[in-house]
Amino acid sequence: MKIGSVVFAGLILAVGLVYEIMALNMPRGRLSYPGPGLFPMIIGIFLIVMALGCLLQEILPRKRTGDGPPALPLPNPNSAAPGDRNVKKTFQLMALMIGYTLALKTLGFLISICAFLVVAIRIFGYRRWVPALAMAAVIAGISYVSFVLWLKVPLPLGILEEVLG
Amino acid sequence: MDLFSGLIHGFSVALTPMNLLFGFLGAVIGTIIGILPGLGPLGTMALLLSLTYGFDPTAGMILFAGIYFGAMYGGSTTSILLNIPGEAASVVTCIEGYQMARRGRAGAALAVAAIGSFVAGTISLIGLSFLAPTLANAALKFGPAEYFTVALVGLVIMSRLTGGNLLRSLMMIALGLALGTVGMETVAGYMRYTFGQPLLAQGIDFLPVAMGLFGISEVLVTAEEPAGNMQLQKVRFRELWPTLVEWKRSFWPIIRGSFIGFFVGLVPGPSPVISTMVSYSVESKLDKSGEFGKGAIEGVAGPEAANNAAVGAAYVPLMALGIPFTPAMAVVMAVLLIHGINPGPLLMTEKPDLFWGVIASMYIGNFMLLVFNLPLVGVFASIIRTPLYLLMPIVLLLCLVGVYSVNNSMLDIWLMTGFGLLGYLLRRLKYDLAPLVLALVLGPMMERSFREAMMISRGDLSIFLNRPISGTILLVGAIVLAAPLLISWIKPLISRKG
Repeated sequence: MKIGSVVFAGLILAVGLVYEIMALNMPRGRLSYPGPGLFPMIIGIFLIVMALGCLLQEILPRKRTGDGPPALPLPNPNSAAPGDRNVKKTFQLMALMIGYTLALKTLGFLISICAFLVVAIRIFGYRRWVPALAMAAVIAGISYVSFVLWLKVPLPLGILEEVLG
Repeated sequence: MDLFSGLIHGFSVALTPMNLLFGFLGAVIGTIIGILPGLGPLGTMALLLSLTYGFDPTAGMILFAGIYFGAMYGGSTTSILLNIPGEAASVVTCIEGYQMARRGRAGAALAVAAIGSFVAGTISLIGLSFLAPTLANAALKFGPAEYFTVALVGLVIMSRLTGGNLLRSLMMIALGLALGTVGMETVAGYMRYTFGQPLLAQGIDFLPVAMGLFGISEVLVTAEEPAGNMQLQKVRFRELWPTLVEWKRSFWPIIRGSFIGFFVGLVPGPSPVISTMVSYSVESKLDKSGEFGKGAIEGVAGPEAANNAAVGAAYVPLMALGIPFTPAMAVVMAVLLIHGINPGPLLMTEKPDLFWGVIASMYIGNFMLLVFNLPLVGVFASIIRTPLYLLMPIVLLLCLVGVYSVNNSMLDIWLMTGFGLLGYLLRRLKYDLAPLVLALVLGPMMERSFREAMMISRGDLSIFLNRPISGTILLVGAIVLAAPLLISWIKPLISRKG
């Protein structure tokens, strides 16, 4: 039993229950003239049954190893053993993306993406500050020219609005 | 427009300088991302989807076709030279390809992979040219019941064929269908699951979901892996020519791989990956030399032909029915949808430039890939040395800017980030992402078709069984779903009797 898989199946079951309750509160109409709630109601039941099935499958002891086609002797050098993984980086990157999104409106695209890139370059293992800053500034500059000036993507300019706008 | 005049018209569209440029760009980008581990064709197409908004839809489709085919070519390069599959459809090539490289036959393996890909690509394009118009004409007879059953059975078949756990795949389908119901319902304008957020009224857009699930999650998974030590083997141009014996041994595997790939490609699911596995299994069973596992050229020729053929075949249901059977085709369909074009059986008659232009461009792109892939194999292989600390932040930047550029919406960035995290979790828990994405894309169409079918039949559910095409499709779905169960019951009975 993998605790992660159990938690995930339980979470989807909870989502399914909320989804179904909300579907039952929508007008369902008749089968000859289905309302907006009929299809979600069917999907909700399907989701609950499948999530429950997955949950039981994870909790109950297994008789078989799997029901997929027989595995080939595939090399998978991209996938490290769980112990070798650096999960910290995932959380750092997620926090970085959330930080970028929060700062985008206020600081504007140029400053936000520059800061984003510096931190991302360091998360991916490059440790020297000055070259990282230089790389980030160059990439941010190129992306500003390409997206904002050339492709006219209306990215927020934030505090630089008066200077760049 | 018949087949030949259609193709001639298509070549006149594909051979314009702008479309040739997009085909070339797609082929180069595809080869590069095929080589780079951590960014597959699907993630790249999702990444570039927002940019196609500014192009002509034909050019966008040509670009994506080039990327998809190019990734299949590029993927084999690092599989053979480094034992690192650039993308999933090249994983099988590592087994024999790398062993060939260790025996000093890397050049022959690369040449056979490229030529096999070209032959298979051409065979599958001939199949596409014949089959897509025929199927499109047949699909004109399709009503809502048929569309509903095609989508339903497509999802069922995919859940069986993705190779993972059936219950998990079905749960992902249910989740995808549920996400597809978010937003304003089209008949009565009723708001569903929007939680008072007006921005959700449009529904959950496919773009942030695809970019999150395939782009962001790919970066997150790559970030966790420890950096490897890569020893790139050098291949000289004169070493690229296989020996006569190698040619002879590769011929039939290429032909078999082409047909296996084409037929597997017509089936819903990640067909390029599955086709390589089927082809490898077939070749290893036919092997009499005992070389499999030690560098058998058949194990490179067959699977590499199969994955290219599967790409061409995957276009058939999309171009003929407007139904994507693979996640990559769902992204390709999005190129059309963001331009307000609904793919389907009428695409061929209403948009002949696009329909035939894209097919013709695939012939040209396939030839381009062969011409520049072989001589430049060393240059392309050296791309793998691009440091991850530079590549991955740029991928994230493209995701962040790309997803914002379509609707200028902060919500899309939040959605992409959320789906990125979900994709990461699903990958780590070994869930398949394809059923979720396809169900999200097909869900609204399924609901619309279901409701229309119910109104036509006045609430009689037997409409799905009584109509001949719909009934046959449902029967096929039932067989696919029940077959493994029946086999598991029958097998012990037979063995007991024996």
